[in-house]
Amino acid sequence: MSLYASWRRAACLSALLAGAVAQAHADSAVSDMFSEVDRAMATFDPVGKYVRAPIERAVPNLRFKGFVRQWTDILLEEQGQVGFQNQDYRFLQLQNLLELETSYHIQDGLDVNAVTHVMYDGVYDWQRSKGLYANGYFKQAELYNTSERLLREFYVSYRKPSFDILVGKQQIAWGKMDGQFIDVINGMDRREAVQLETEDYEWRRMPQWMANATVHFGQNSLQFLYIFDFEQDRQALPGMPWYSPALPQSTSDIMLPVRRPQNDRFVDHEYGLRFDRVQGSLSYGLIYYYGWDKNPVSHIVGTELSGGQTLLRLEPRHERLHHAGVTADYAFALNDVPLVGTLPVVLRVEGLYTNGVRFVDFGKQALVRAGLGATDGTTKRDTVRAAVASEFGLPGRSTFILQASYYRTLDWTQNLGPGFGGGFGDEWTLIPVAFFSRPFGFTRDRLSMEATVFPVISGPDRGWQGVKTKLRLIYKVSQFVKTQLVYNGYDGGSTTDTYGQYNHWDNVGWELSYEF
Amino acid sequence: MNSEALKLNTMRRTGRLLSLLMVALVVTPPLGAVADEREEQWKTVEQMSAEDKALFDPATSTPRDAAIPYIPAEPYPFQAPYTAEEMGYRSAEFVHIGRWPQAIVDVFGVVTSSGYINQGVSVSYTALNGRPGLEGYIHDVKPGEPYARWTMFDTFPPESEGTQQLWLPYRTDMEHRTKMDYYIYSEQLRRVRRQPQPLRDQRFPDNSQTFDDVIGRDPWEMDWQLLGTDVLYETIRFPNTRPTITQNIQGQFVERQTSAIKMMGDDYPHYRADGGIDTFVLKATIREDWLPGYGEKTLIFWVDKHLFYPLRMEKYNAKGELMMVEVRLAEHENKARGDFGYAALSTVYWNVEHDLVGFSLHDGQLQRDWTPEEEKMIFTPEFMRRKWLLQPIKSQAVIRDPEHFYLRPRLYPGKFPGERNPAVPAEIQARIDAQEAAGHLVFVTAGGAKSAETAPAQ
Repeated sequence: MSLYASWRRAACLSALLAGAVAQAHADSAVSDMFSEVDRAMATFDPVGKYVRAPIERAVPNLRFKGFVRQWTDILLEEQGQVGFQNQDYRFLQLQNLLELETSYHIQDGLDVNAVTHVMYDGVYDWQRSKGLYANGYFKQAELYNTSERLLREFYVSYRKPSFDILVGKQQIAWGKMDGQFIDVINGMDRREAVQLETEDYEWRRMPQWMANATVHFGQNSLQFLYIFDFEQDRQALPGMPWYSPALPQSTSDIMLPVRRPQNDRFVDHEYGLRFDRVQGSLSYGLIYYYGWDKNPVSHIVGTELSGGQTLLRLEPRHERLHHAGVTADYAFALNDVPLVGTLPVVLRVEGLYTNGVRFVDFGKQALVRAGLGATDGTTKRDTVRAAVASEFGLPGRSTFILQASYYRTLDWTQNLGPGFGGGFGDEWTLIPVAFFSRPFGFTRDRLSMEATVFPVISGPDRGWQGVKTKLRLIYKVSQFVKTQLVYNGYDGGSTTDTYGQYNHWDNVGWELSYEF
Repeated sequence: MNSEALKLNTMRRTGRLLSLLMVALVVTPPLGAVADEREEQWKTVEQMSAEDKALFDPATSTPRDAAIPYIPAEPYPFQAPYTAEEMGYRSAEFVHIGRWPQAIVDVFGVVTSSGYINQGVSVSYTALNGRPGLEGYIHDVKPGEPYARWTMFDTFPPESEGTQQLWLPYRTDMEHRTKMDYYIYSEQLRRVRRQPQPLRDQRFPDNSQTFDDVIGRDPWEMDWQLLGTDVLYETIRFPNTRPTITQNIQGQFVERQTSAIKMMGDDYPHYRADGGIDTFVLKATIREDWLPGYGEKTLIFWVDKHLFYPLRMEKYNAKGELMMVEVRLAEHENKARGDFGYAALSTVYWNVEHDLVGFSLHDGQLQRDWTPEEEKMIFTPEFMRRKWLLQPIKSQAVIRDPEHFYLRPRLYPGKFPGERNPAVPAEIQARIDAQEAAGHLVFVTAGGAKSAETAPAQ
């Protein structure tokens, strides 16, 4: 071996050794640094320590908790004009939400509960955009600035072993499924349109003033709702990031103010009834709800001629609806399943039949515009929406859910617009959702992932309406702080389809929340 | 141990004693030496004392019960001498949660090797569908029917406050393997949802406990063998950063010196003069016909000789690798049940694969005789929607600092060689060494050891 070769080999070995030592040092330095962060974060709970604990010590009957949350969603690409939407912005939301929940225990069974929150969305201030202007005519898009929004829930609860009554402003979640099937009581803030999902309902529902009583007997319960307040859905409006690009930002027709139910009119109040029963592995429930459609439907109340064109005088009205629904679930375990062994399974089913849904009928509107008819431009139909889900408990703390959701408008005709519970712009719509989640053992389960696919198929007209894909990585920084990274992608379908219209809305988001 | 080993031990002990005598005038004997001697008191079946042998029936095939063919014919709780199987049955009396109706607050958590903490506090009520104890579980409920009802109402951390669970665990056998009906009320979803039952050998997310660690394994699902006897001097070890803990005893917060907490509580009458507890050491091998594909293969239990209370348990996988060590502190919580009234005050679960040190502490334990009205009301899925914490029980046992967590249990590498192999990877052994030197968990590598300086808990 030449001296040069020996020297080179020695140099290489030395370099490798040095590298390995340096790597080991670097590894241990990095792991020590992470450990320092972990230990610091383990005790990071300033509001809990300096606000919540002293308050609860001073007033033992008071329970106080809350959270601060920051959501940011950013478009992967800015597209400019998309349909009717001027997409000259990147941030879809820069929302900051502070929520405080207090509960005061007066005596056995008697409590007063209040939830207040305030939200600021920076998308209107923190980026230059002409497409986003909703805050100019609707301040709540940017900041919750009304008592109605700030005082989220406020109710007195009184409980006896076989009886509960809660009176005040509250939200009710009926049903067991992901998505809304018999969950029909409260309106919803739908500013996120197709990106709104079950885990956000808690903060997006519009609580209402009501009396809510439940009688419990054996394995059964019977709930009565008397709702003397009405809250409609808040849809994404023109000038908001998620306003549909398939819809024009304005109309040449004459829009009159919405005719909505009046809280001071007894005949406008709403009623609900729910029965639940558990029988071993099977539990089921039945509901009936006599309420208002949360979204108004435009009725033609007259016409005007302008520049030789017939304009419709349209009055949006909420309609009375009868809802009857069913929910059930059943659990069992499959044994000796290949690769898995025992496979625990839960089946869930939920359905809602709605009578008297009013649809805008574009055929009738056309006739009126042409001076060939004198109708109000609407049609009444019944609708059905239902879902069947199977949830599987897999090894590795993994979960897999298959849920087929089905929406149908009975006696559907092609001229019908959207309406409660029916197919999406079509007679029927099928959404076979697949969901998978698992934590990663190498992170000691601090990091977990979720993947959901929502394909939309409908018929007989539209067929494929696109697919939404959601990927989520959730990381627990500590027992008080959590963060997540989310990707939402929209693919396929045409520019007027459910997901197709949002093909240029692929976005990534992150969320940071601190609960105390 | 064989006789050569015994001789060697005797010589070693004699030598050590002489050495100690020589230096005793000037220095205190090193703690390690005392610990070594304590670790060498284990005996194989052949080496057991005549007294212990008299308690043991080596039969491996005993008559079976006429009605339930997989259990022994001799009525539970059996008479001495006991077969290994009977000892296993007796130890199955003492599952994670006492087999009687009660209300407790369960404080549980886990710390990772980097110091990340995940904890929870849950107020739990339990009711039974038969008599208390294993006897009620075996005989009072048919396989395929729930034998108990457990509710859990989370009060910590803030994220899960108000989340509730209802467990309806089933009496199982080979035909009826569904382990429980399982419901969760999610405060965020405001919905009660039936969940698939957890897989029995899988640990809960972000935790070191498995479902079976909580609910217990049926003794007929395992083959039992007596390995011998041993003396335990410690099970759960508190760090030197935590000189006291605050316990909720009958609704009163009581500050207790951790060094004074005994393995089986103060009124256990069978402590040795030197403070140790005499134990039988049992090996349980999972029966593939009962639990096909089960991730755990062998469990080794240290059960006290008088009550068969399991103070320590080790789990090994099919490759013989150590998966987990579980150690307990018990208290005589239900005096009316006599020897069967002991229950875990605290349990530490050390998951070796991920080096997760988990714990569960049952604070404020109260026996409850639920009224029929309460039973009907509380233990139903719909009750969870009412968000009604009927009997709040408070605890101050949440650990505020990672360095205040329990120590990893001892490994006792020399005990019962060939039957157990408590080897751990070098990286974990280094952490154990650092922990033993510091007296508390150490989360940094040797180079960054300054963090070992931690203030005691206030």
